[in-house]
Amino acid sequence: MSLEKITNPLHVRHWLGDMEADYIYTLGVAGEHFLEEIKENGRIMGAKCPRCNITYVPPKMYCEKCFAKLEKWVDIGKKGVVHTFTVATIDVDGKKLEKPVIYALIKFEGACGGLIHKIGETKPEKIKIGMKVEAVFKPSFERKASINDIAYFKPAE
Amino acid sequence: MFGKKRVAIVGAGLTLFRRRLKETGKELSYEAAKMALDAAGMELRDMKSVVMGTAPDAFDGVHMKGEYLADGAGAYHKPYTRVFVGGGTGVFTPLAGWWHVASGQFDTCLVVAEEKMSSCYPHPQYAFTTIFDPILERPLGMNLIWIFALEMHRYMHKHNIKKEQIALVSVKNKRNALDHPCAQLAANITVEDVLSSEIMAWPVQRLDVSPTSDGAAALVLASEDVAKEVTDNPVWIDGVGWCIDSTLWTNRDLYYPDYVECAARMAYKMAGIKNPPKEIDVAEPYDPFDYKELHHMEGLLLCKKGEAPKLTAEGVTQRDGDLPINPSGGLLGVGNPIAAAGLMKVCEIFWQLRGEAGKRQIPGDPRTGLAQAWGDLMQYGSVIVLRR
Repeated sequence: MSLEKITNPLHVRHWLGDMEADYIYTLGVAGEHFLEEIKENGRIMGAKCPRCNITYVPPKMYCEKCFAKLEKWVDIGKKGVVHTFTVATIDVDGKKLEKPVIYALIKFEGACGGLIHKIGETKPEKIKIGMKVEAVFKPSFERKASINDIAYFKPAE
Repeated sequence: MFGKKRVAIVGAGLTLFRRRLKETGKELSYEAAKMALDAAGMELRDMKSVVMGTAPDAFDGVHMKGEYLADGAGAYHKPYTRVFVGGGTGVFTPLAGWWHVASGQFDTCLVVAEEKMSSCYPHPQYAFTTIFDPILERPLGMNLIWIFALEMHRYMHKHNIKKEQIALVSVKNKRNALDHPCAQLAANITVEDVLSSEIMAWPVQRLDVSPTSDGAAALVLASEDVAKEVTDNPVWIDGVGWCIDSTLWTNRDLYYPDYVECAARMAYKMAGIKNPPKEIDVAEPYDPFDYKELHHMEGLLLCKKGEAPKLTAEGVTQRDGDLPINPSGGLLGVGNPIAAAGLMKVCEIFWQLRGEAGKRQIPGDPRTGLAQAWGDLMQYGSVIVLRR
């Protein structure tokens, strides 16, 4: 077999090509309700399965455990708990980020699941697993029914 | 379970694993498949079916990659299937091959797994940025390393595990790989080297992670009748298991892989294994990151929850320990061409049980071994139990 120790891929015999395709992703039935609530009312909503007594956050249109269709919506509040977190220091190219970004999995009381989001208004060394955080929404005129309508989560009392 | 036929592995093949190989994906598939056939003393015409395992089309950059690779896997004019369950593909591929033969439909099956990640330019990380939920996660700019970092941190927090303990896995596997002729990142390193390597997303550092690679692996599967004709030492597929957890990975605690336990229990039940740590002589759990080896040892019920770092520190998981783990050098040492890396683990167990692992051979005449892979969005487990 061939063995090439090449660090620059352009030095191998090659053909440069791409797989160009753009996409428009629909938010979906549950996703649209979830993000519209964030945009219009600044509320984080879960979908409750009456049979399993589980509230999914983010919400789903159906219960993945029993397959019931979910139509009951519950406001689960803005406060959650840091379940785990990371401090990203390099980007997808391996380049150093100008400022480290803190990403956390945030869980909400009484809900199954949680949201991945950024943590702001604090420093990496101050974050702890188990600490309470609160959603900070963008001003309503800037919201677009996107998960980024939540600017970040900040430490809460 | 009645009506099920016993299935043997009678040959294995493996290419070099490198960051970038000259061969195309088809050619890599051919190299591994041909090697497995030669090892079995069989010809392509003896293969009655072909199963190909390969990960996202975006790596090779060819949509319908299964079709593109088919001739390299020896599928011309044969019943052919491509399977894909993310990182779990490499061990799932022989499971799919197993049911081809166990069903009685085919006497033989050629099982091939391939990945050519170097086609994705400048780095296959770009293919990983589109694996997340397009509505809830991609707008945040998620990247693969970060979700591993979240899981690793949760595991460390739950059991109060230190980075030093986890780094021992990287040290062991990269050293084991020094004896593997296909290895890409074999090295003698220290815990200090791991801890001082570049921080990518805390707690993940450069030397906690396996490299991206090109490579292919293959197995020849045969029914009992055929196996006994072609070899005196078949290795039997005695247990198979697979399971997927919630697609919302946020729905799990992350510190423990339930889905691996579910897959392992299925395989152990089929193999009649009651006490895994006592009955498994050697194991190749999936180790794309060092903490994943520990995580998976626990999920595979090879030790108690949170106990894997202690066993590692005591040397139990070394080649000459009581429960050798990743004697091949694993993904951390040999390399991680996703689907091929998982099948490399099954090849290793095959060679270990036949006493053909050369300098990597573990002592003690092993009779029962296990390989496991893990994938999709951190929630898929595939397990195979082999016996001599």
